[in-house]
Amino acid sequence: MSLPSVNAPIGQTLPISVTINETAHSLDIEPRRSLADVIREDVGLTGTHLGCEHGVCGACTILVDGEPSRACLMLGVHADGAEITTIEGLAEPDGTKHPIQEAMKQAMSFQCAFCSPGFLMSTVALLRDNPNPTEAEIREELSGNLCRCTGYTSIVEGVETAVTLLGSSALGSTGDQATGGVA
Amino acid sequence: MTDTKDTQTSGLGFMGQRVQRVEDDRLLVGKGEFVADVLPEGVLHAAFLRSPFPHATINSINVTAAARLPGVHKVFTGAELNAITNPFLPMFMADGVYTPLYKCMSDEKVRHVGDLVALVVAESRYVAEDALELIEIDYTELTPVGTIDQALEPNREQLWEKADGNVLGNLSDSFGPVDQVFSRADHVITRTFECPRQTNQPMETRGTVVKVDKATGHLEIHNTSQAPHALKWALAAMLTDEGGIKNFGKFVRNADRRQAFTAAAKDFLSKNKESLKAQDNAGQVSQLKKDKSLLKHQGKMAMGLLASTDYPTVKAGDIGGAFGSKGPITREDVAVAAAAKKLGKSVQWIEDRVENLMDGGQAREEQFTISMAVDSDGTLRGMKVDFVLDQGAYPGFPISSLIIPLLWKLYMPGPYNIEAFELNGQIVATNKGRVVPYRGPWANETWLRERMLDVVARELNITPADLRAKNVMREGSMPDAFITGPTIDETMSVAKTFDRALEMIDFDQLEEDKAAAEAKGHRLGLGIASYHEAAPGPPNFFSSAQPGSDMLLSEDGRAEIQADGRIVMYTSQSPHGQSHETTYKQVAADEFGVPLEDVEIVWGDTDRTQFSFLGTGGSRGGPLGAGVMRMTARELRRQVTDVAADMLEAASSDIEIIDGNIHVAGVPAKGITYADVAAKVATDKRTTSGPVFTEQMQYDGVGNGGWSVATHVAWVDIDLETGLVEIPRYLVVEDCGPIINPGVVDGQIRGGVAQGVGAVFYERHHYDEQANLLSTTYMDYLVPTAMEIPHIDIEHMETLTDGENDARGTGEGGMIGAPAALTNAVSDALGVEVYEQYLPPYRILELAGVIDR
Repeated sequence: MSLPSVNAPIGQTLPISVTINETAHSLDIEPRRSLADVIREDVGLTGTHLGCEHGVCGACTILVDGEPSRACLMLGVHADGAEITTIEGLAEPDGTKHPIQEAMKQAMSFQCAFCSPGFLMSTVALLRDNPNPTEAEIREELSGNLCRCTGYTSIVEGVETAVTLLGSSALGSTGDQATGGVA
Repeated sequence: MTDTKDTQTSGLGFMGQRVQRVEDDRLLVGKGEFVADVLPEGVLHAAFLRSPFPHATINSINVTAAARLPGVHKVFTGAELNAITNPFLPMFMADGVYTPLYKCMSDEKVRHVGDLVALVVAESRYVAEDALELIEIDYTELTPVGTIDQALEPNREQLWEKADGNVLGNLSDSFGPVDQVFSRADHVITRTFECPRQTNQPMETRGTVVKVDKATGHLEIHNTSQAPHALKWALAAMLTDEGGIKNFGKFVRNADRRQAFTAAAKDFLSKNKESLKAQDNAGQVSQLKKDKSLLKHQGKMAMGLLASTDYPTVKAGDIGGAFGSKGPITREDVAVAAAAKKLGKSVQWIEDRVENLMDGGQAREEQFTISMAVDSDGTLRGMKVDFVLDQGAYPGFPISSLIIPLLWKLYMPGPYNIEAFELNGQIVATNKGRVVPYRGPWANETWLRERMLDVVARELNITPADLRAKNVMREGSMPDAFITGPTIDETMSVAKTFDRALEMIDFDQLEEDKAAAEAKGHRLGLGIASYHEAAPGPPNFFSSAQPGSDMLLSEDGRAEIQADGRIVMYTSQSPHGQSHETTYKQVAADEFGVPLEDVEIVWGDTDRTQFSFLGTGGSRGGPLGAGVMRMTARELRRQVTDVAADMLEAASSDIEIIDGNIHVAGVPAKGITYADVAAKVATDKRTTSGPVFTEQMQYDGVGNGGWSVATHVAWVDIDLETGLVEIPRYLVVEDCGPIINPGVVDGQIRGGVAQGVGAVFYERHHYDEQANLLSTTYMDYLVPTAMEIPHIDIEHMETLTDGENDARGTGEGGMIGAPAALTNAVSDALGVEVYEQYLPPYRILELAGVIDR
């Protein structure tokens, strides 16, 4: 992607085209505006969360052209021409949860869940690239996401549950993903 | 393992089940509503100018250039906001303690890095931050107070001119024949311990969005508050801008207000007669000796509260964790509300992470000298502790760090038989961020005592396990109360958890593992720690700390059945990760005999829920919050059953409700529903909407204990080359009584232990000796990742009592036990005593003698 000048005067905007969750957006944005703010405030997808705004906590992790990226460390203009997936893009249009979301619910992975969008997006990339990770691989891959509530074990279990659910859906079985209620 | 009594469940039996969280249906798909997501049309954005200096006077402030910047709506100097707000007053006072009054902004003097100097409101956060850079301030630096030792220097520059130097409080109390016990014991062993500053660090920072109704001026405030009702009242008081006399006149002329006040006052007085009678005025006397302005401000704010007919509405939606830090009401909350009110426009302020590290809540910088009187056979006789607590610059509101030593006073002797205990100490002010409650705010009493028990054991040449076994309170010889006052019942089951933990340790294997570790240049060690916590504690718990301090602690709740049959439960809790919605649905659904989805839980909206001073805090959500849900639900079920019995032409005692089907026992095919009953009552009442059944209650819990207890065991494996510590095993044996949802309880325990692991090996909130904050990013303040936190084995004991709702809280315990177990394990591994809580790799290597100090 080409990088427009970010030294434009304050108040001046630049046009960008970006696809977010398969919807094309044409936006005029200030060059200094972070991608996270563009997604949250300009596009209105507030599921992407800002925890530290300096690239450590990982709550704002999204997929940019398929790669997990910190939305707080990118400028909106840098996403010109990019395909972005956010947490809102995981579930089916009818609201059916993505198997990773369903798995995290079954494993009771989160508590406050403020960090969950970042963990979920990191997990999407992890399981795409490594469908059967070991526990050590899961812990290492998710070490770029901070959670203060859970002590992580339940999140690791959620990823392991997702491996099972994704495996069964890959085999053509729908699985019993909508159990809800009592496990 | 679980021998849950029949009385603990009813209906469909959701109690005790690992019910998956209903919260996740919105949170995991990006549909939560956190405070930063609240962006009303046309909302403006606020940013604070914060002091770069720890201690300085403000000579002048020039906002001209900032105010001229396009997009800036208003630049408020500290003086401008202070002129339209009232100060933070001490709400809780104690003999020997002075609590400085302070305003929402600093206009003459700054007292810590990050202190609030000016507020910009602009069309975007970007423009607001641009404007901050254009504000010119002339400071004169003062000598900072960066350490506890500096705070105790007699002639050091003072933060608060009315204090005695930088000492804000002197506290002292004793129980039992201290001198006699210490003179007669075989040994008196004394050591000094210190814990550095930590910070809560929820993943979501603080935030407030103040919506202003253009027509009425009414404020609706979305806030990350653990205690929305306390925030509502505090803002109503602090935004009172008219004089007391004028407001008194308004109040007198308003008959409705007068009647409502008289009724509320009568109700309060009758409910709290005993507490009010027990209170002395020593705390107020101490305060007024230093600063009489308290009375004037109290008068003005009280009159404002009486006269006002429009208190703000506070709403807490989804909150991204808090761990105590979002309970206190902060200066930013008041400043942003005052600014929005003044402008008549909605304003959002979202704290950034650097601000959160500077002043979002800090904790546990404490020093202790402890003496234990002990006989040669290992019998503990007495304990004396001197402490100094570093509260930072500004006292917390509405409860200052004074609460911490008051709780130490009750907890410190722990679950052990002991004849005498004495606690003395000081609260000091330093040029640092605010001390807030942090998950088990008193937790260092457990760290100190349990670490010291290991020291004593080594001195007496017995094992730490044997020393604890000899002294722990056991069934059969259990006293009725601690020597510090709080009563004891069967929930004080620490010995059970301790015995079970010992059964689960393979000591032979441990010796083998130690040898194997040593062979590869590692050291392995094991540490044990036990504690008890009041969750919610016995009825006399808070009054044992200070007579009459047990007011405003009831838990309120309401249940309604709407005209269309919907069941709606209103809790005064403010959940922020504890899964209240799921667990309260479990409790209520069981009582009503309906599926989970038939119950709606409402929280966090002060227009819809009952008053609660504490909101969510103090591990009360399980015992009291769920308790009042159960009792109100039960009462409504009784009322519904009576109506249904009439409709079914049967006796109430013959009515059963299963899966929402209300029927005569044995005749489910002829059942009716809650909607049918509600419709009947609605028709009778000639109404079509709103509640047709309502029950509102206050609930205080059951029994004379309410203790949540545990024993933690940590295994550590230390690499002597790197100083890195692995935790091959961590065991928690806990007893929080009947468990509502094991998935939730296990999560709370693991999360607490994880913060304890962080505190010991990774987290230090580092101020230098000049009070400059060095850990201002997550590259400096290390929150542990999935790589650092081990598996945690959890064993539940579930002691039941005769009372209902005897679930005990479990939110704080993980963090209470972990630092003690972990530092004991390090001490065991290295064969040296450990007197500090923070043990990063360099310190581990120093302790091991690998590198020089």
